[in-house]
Amino acid sequence: MNEWGQWTLFFPYAVAFWLFVIGCFGITQSRNLIHTVLCLTVVQASTYMLLLSIDFHAQAGAPIFGSTNPPGSPSVDPILHALTLTDIVVGATVTALMLALTIQIHRRRGTIDPQRLRPMSE
Amino acid sequence: MNASVANAITPLCAVVPLLAAALIAPFTKHMPRWLSSCIAAGTSLAVCAMSVALVFYTSANGPVVHWMGGWLPRHTLALGISFTVDPIGAGLSAFIALLVFAATVYTWTKFDLVGTLFHSLLMAFLGSMCGYALTGDVFNMFVWFELMSAAAIALTAHKIEEAQAISGAINLAITNTIAGFIVLLGIGMIYARTDALNLAQIGEVLAQRPADALVLGGFALIVAGYFVKGAVMPFHFWLDDAHAVAPTPICILFSGIMVQVALYGVARVYWTMFSAVLSPQAHEIKALFLGLGIATALVGAIMAFAQRHLKRLLAFSTVSHSGMFVAAIGLFDASAAAAAALFVIAHGLIKSALFVCAGNYLNRFRSLDEQVLGGKGRQAPLNSALFIIGGVALAGMPPFAISAAKVLYDAAMKDHALFSIAGFMAFASAIDAGAVLRAGLHVTFGIGKGQITGFSPREEEPECDGPRLEATPWTMLAVPLALLAIAIWVGMSGTFWHGIERAAHAFVDRQYYFSAVLGNVHRALPPAPWEPRTAQDIAINLGVTAAAVIAAFAGLFRDHIPQMIAPIFGPPLKFLRGLHSGIFTDYVAYMVFGVAAYSTYLVIAAR
Repeated sequence: MNEWGQWTLFFPYAVAFWLFVIGCFGITQSRNLIHTVLCLTVVQASTYMLLLSIDFHAQAGAPIFGSTNPPGSPSVDPILHALTLTDIVVGATVTALMLALTIQIHRRRGTIDPQRLRPMSE
Repeated sequence: MNASVANAITPLCAVVPLLAAALIAPFTKHMPRWLSSCIAAGTSLAVCAMSVALVFYTSANGPVVHWMGGWLPRHTLALGISFTVDPIGAGLSAFIALLVFAATVYTWTKFDLVGTLFHSLLMAFLGSMCGYALTGDVFNMFVWFELMSAAAIALTAHKIEEAQAISGAINLAITNTIAGFIVLLGIGMIYARTDALNLAQIGEVLAQRPADALVLGGFALIVAGYFVKGAVMPFHFWLDDAHAVAPTPICILFSGIMVQVALYGVARVYWTMFSAVLSPQAHEIKALFLGLGIATALVGAIMAFAQRHLKRLLAFSTVSHSGMFVAAIGLFDASAAAAAALFVIAHGLIKSALFVCAGNYLNRFRSLDEQVLGGKGRQAPLNSALFIIGGVALAGMPPFAISAAKVLYDAAMKDHALFSIAGFMAFASAIDAGAVLRAGLHVTFGIGKGQITGFSPREEEPECDGPRLEATPWTMLAVPLALLAIAIWVGMSGTFWHGIERAAHAFVDRQYYFSAVLGNVHRALPPAPWEPRTAQDIAINLGVTAAAVIAAFAGLFRDHIPQMIAPIFGPPLKFLRGLHSGIFTDYVAYMVFGVAAYSTYLVIAAR
């Protein structure tokens, strides 16, 4: 692999880091709870990115063996895919809960701007 | 009990509550209240009994390892997911089930349950915490952690018609979800190095090479994620917002055990995965944990003293105790681990009793505000007496359990010649128990001046349905009474302490854990040294209690204290209160800062 090819292997990790940071930044700047929930999914995307890029090889196929790729031929690690799928399920639960809470707080307070929902205003 | 029975009941500790949750949920419209209460109480008692049986079995016969679906390891390579149970894990599971049982008894009558969904969520919460305590797989730990968060979010927002409750739940949801992702990033980094998810296997693979930035970064991220739920500075901000609005039985579980379960995760992960590979960096990690512990303990104690809302006050006292637990975990030896374990049980019992008493005030007098309640406590004499006794017990008055925990704690600090840290912790403990006592005395007798700072609504919706309560139902008084009685028993029982000391010696032994999981060698608990407490220990306990009483009276009669003190405490307090803004946008900013600071410290300073 040439030098440029070496660098492209680091690229997914840089993207994962960027997604985490920009997602958190989005939450700190959020003025709308729906926007917050979406930022949360951006943060979560960084975990998908990291998990999937850990065992990525250009030559390796999916870990499903058949006539073209017999058992023992190069394949990526299926455990990481299982982890990512579990992570997606977990994320869907939290997103659903958060959206339900957002609807409910809009009913009660008429706003979904976190800055106007201060619970500790004295 | 033989080996196959022990192996069979291991997964049931997590599975039975989840089945109960699934059984209750679909029939929420049709199931009578008594039936769902009986299912919840029966399930938690069954889990408690199974866990206690596992404590005895694993003490005598070594850890129980259950491989899910029969995926046994091959040539010391873990293929499946294991539940690895040692006496500390099983004991934690038993204690979780005990507190859930207390919560179901508390909600037996009068409490507004909103159908039976409350019990369903409670069972999911129980199952996830027990699963977290018993699992031997780091990714499985993450999944239980997230399930715990999901149940916690829904339970915090139980009073869904109150905007306050939803705000608290949103703060909890966002901070704890990001925490879960931080943990997962750390797990991904460790997996990249080891190709393993089993705790024992990871520890063995990591030990083969010296630690580099990848391992240190993974450690920093996993620990930082667990610290969010463990309410350690600067991640503790969600805790008081959630406690202030959550229903009382949920406060019991949050303060009594959920926060401590997350810190147990830190200890478990350290001892099984990282203790060998990070031993050259042990000094720096110890410094980090001790520093965080002191900062958290002091901030929590000072903030507790500055609250007028009883639940918020108790919540900050929990933050303060989190700091003490982190410092004990951070000493990284067996005696300190034993001190932390006993302290968690002692604190859980007493703090739960205090929360129940606060909830009883709310139901009787429609307020949790120290000013509004001032003097009304006389109308509920038993409840007020229990609240004040709880405050004294929290300070470490013998014979309550915290006194015993503090004896072990101070002994562990003495072994490391860290007298100054023991002193800081005693100070923090006196201040936060002083805050509880001050509130108790003001509410009961109306003496002095209650705290006037801190956010608190004047009037709150009680948690009971139906007309206003004229008297507290006996179930709601029996719970704190029983919890304090158990706390006395724990504080008196030398056998109990010694058992914890032995279990902790096995807990910190990585080889012991590894050989049980992958070497199939099961050894009984090794013997451990143990010293009974001396008159000097009791004198120290009494001294801290006296300091707490002095702090309480200083708070009540602060007008008579010379005014020169105010400028010393005023500005820092104002700064701290400003940080606790109640908006998650700020909290996420502190979290990102905290994670960046931890990771940078560990990766650079500890190399």
